[in-house]
Amino acid sequence: MRVGGVGTLGLTLLVVLVASGILAPWIAPYPPDETTGAPFTPPSRMHLLGTNDVGQDILSELIFGVRISLTIGFLAAILAISIGTLAGVVAGYFSGWVDATLMRLVDIVLVVPFLPLMILLAAYLGPSFWNIILVIGALVWARPARVIRAQVLSLRRLDFVDAAVALGASSGRLLLRHILPGVLSLALAQFILAASNAILIEASLSFLGLGDPTAKSWGSTLYYAQARSAFLSGAWKWWVLPPGLLITAAVLGFAFTGFALEEVLNPRLRR
Amino acid sequence: MARFFAGKGVQYALVLLFAVTLNFLLPRMMPGSPLVFLVGEDVGFMSADQRAQLIHAFGLDQPLWRQYVIYLAGLARADLGHSFQQGRPVLEIILGRVGWTVLLVGISLLLATLIGITWGTAAAWRRGRRLDLGSLGAAMLLESMPSFWLAMIFIAVFAAGLRWFPVFGAMTPGAGLRGWPQMVNVAWHLTLPLATLTIITIPGMFLIMRYSMLSVLGEQYIATARSKGLAERGVMFRHAMRNALLPVATVFMLNLGYVVSGATVVETVFSYPGVGRLLFEAVLARDYPVLQGTFFVLTVSVITANIGADLLYPLIDPRVRHAR
Repeated sequence: MRVGGVGTLGLTLLVVLVASGILAPWIAPYPPDETTGAPFTPPSRMHLLGTNDVGQDILSELIFGVRISLTIGFLAAILAISIGTLAGVVAGYFSGWVDATLMRLVDIVLVVPFLPLMILLAAYLGPSFWNIILVIGALVWARPARVIRAQVLSLRRLDFVDAAVALGASSGRLLLRHILPGVLSLALAQFILAASNAILIEASLSFLGLGDPTAKSWGSTLYYAQARSAFLSGAWKWWVLPPGLLITAAVLGFAFTGFALEEVLNPRLRR
Repeated sequence: MARFFAGKGVQYALVLLFAVTLNFLLPRMMPGSPLVFLVGEDVGFMSADQRAQLIHAFGLDQPLWRQYVIYLAGLARADLGHSFQQGRPVLEIILGRVGWTVLLVGISLLLATLIGITWGTAAAWRRGRRLDLGSLGAAMLLESMPSFWLAMIFIAVFAAGLRWFPVFGAMTPGAGLRGWPQMVNVAWHLTLPLATLTIITIPGMFLIMRYSMLSVLGEQYIATARSKGLAERGVMFRHAMRNALLPVATVFMLNLGYVVSGATVVETVFSYPGVGRLLFEAVLARDYPVLQGTFFVLTVSVITANIGADLLYPLIDPRVRHAR
């Protein structure tokens, strides 16, 4: 499969997931938080993916879960990329001690074992929708910051930047008009990779019981399946398998799209 | 070389400082009394006198910088506080668990590296062909799967379904096994968690090795070796792979934080009594001193491993050894 094929596959996965999230109230067979059958019902025509321990329809839960999982992944990635782009541009442009300080910070964030740190922060802040986004965003920014800094460093050596300096452009104007547009496409690719990362991390945190208790993501569904030992009975085939496949599909969708975009946007990777 | 280590040393000191300072500030910056996070919810039932006594004992009536000094002095005496739940020193609890995690993480890092290196070399050698592209796809698929989910599936299929392996734990409790039978029992319990952690660690190693091999294969000495008429296999392993391994050694250590994170969820699903599972138990019980202590110990281990890699690196790369 060539780059185009990978990208198309990734985008298709994403479009299907986003569409089912938007259309959730119309395509989900039942309200996800109501008891609509007997507990632990195997898949049937009434409940295509069976029911959980309190008789809620699992298919409906997963369709509504798209909203939570993708929204958290999306917002956390936006936060991470905003911090990462800002840090990368500032570090690359101003160099000197600003650069040294920021890059030290990046190295610290990259060395610390990230999941234990996120667990610690999430446990203190308390499980909520926004806290999860905050915690993920606060730690995922480091890698994009490094990539974007490298891009800024090579942009600064280009003639048109020198020309703008010679014409007396201020730092602010240089950054906004000349440097920032040059890193935006790279930031987009990094955003997509950060989103795939964020979805996986959100699933882990929710699975460890640190997710928002009022909004069930795919990770939370697996948390309840684990807490009720679904994998010890036949229930794992409809309670454990589908949410994991959905997480994998979403992460792959973002990863493929980001991979293809990076190949297209970064000429150094092309051969 | 001394300079190289001084730079790295500063880096590790900063990471340590970050972890320590975070641990110090978290309970003190949360809304409400820090005592709730240091002693537990019982604070609510204490008399004003008792509370004042505790506040004094923890130095919470002192200015913040004095509290920090007191905190650091405690750390220097290896005092990580006391668990709410068990009442024992946090360090004691962690030391009782650390062996299992070292066993799990150590073996799986070794296995994942060996498999990843071989796989990456083979894929790079057939760059752009079916094996290479298929491997890339497989690696991306493996990287996208949640590790805890893979663990649950393994339990459902191999433990609960086929009954080949136990469902949880590190050894059969109360079996009173010793010597060889005990080792077999431990290995039997270790198999599934080890398989899960190894499988999720392989893709990272594979991707780095493949990339590193690809850049080495473009070098002129590879062309020279080939034009000398050396066998392909010899060129691949003796010339290309040995040189491609160098960057992998660095990434091996950078990956440690990732593997430790993976171990946290894998141990949780298998109820494997390591430090990762302890972290999860502490989250459930909101046992803040244990949470913080575990985070601290994990950070220190990652730093220690990094220093170890820096010391070993000159042994495998002559260029670093001779650049003085």
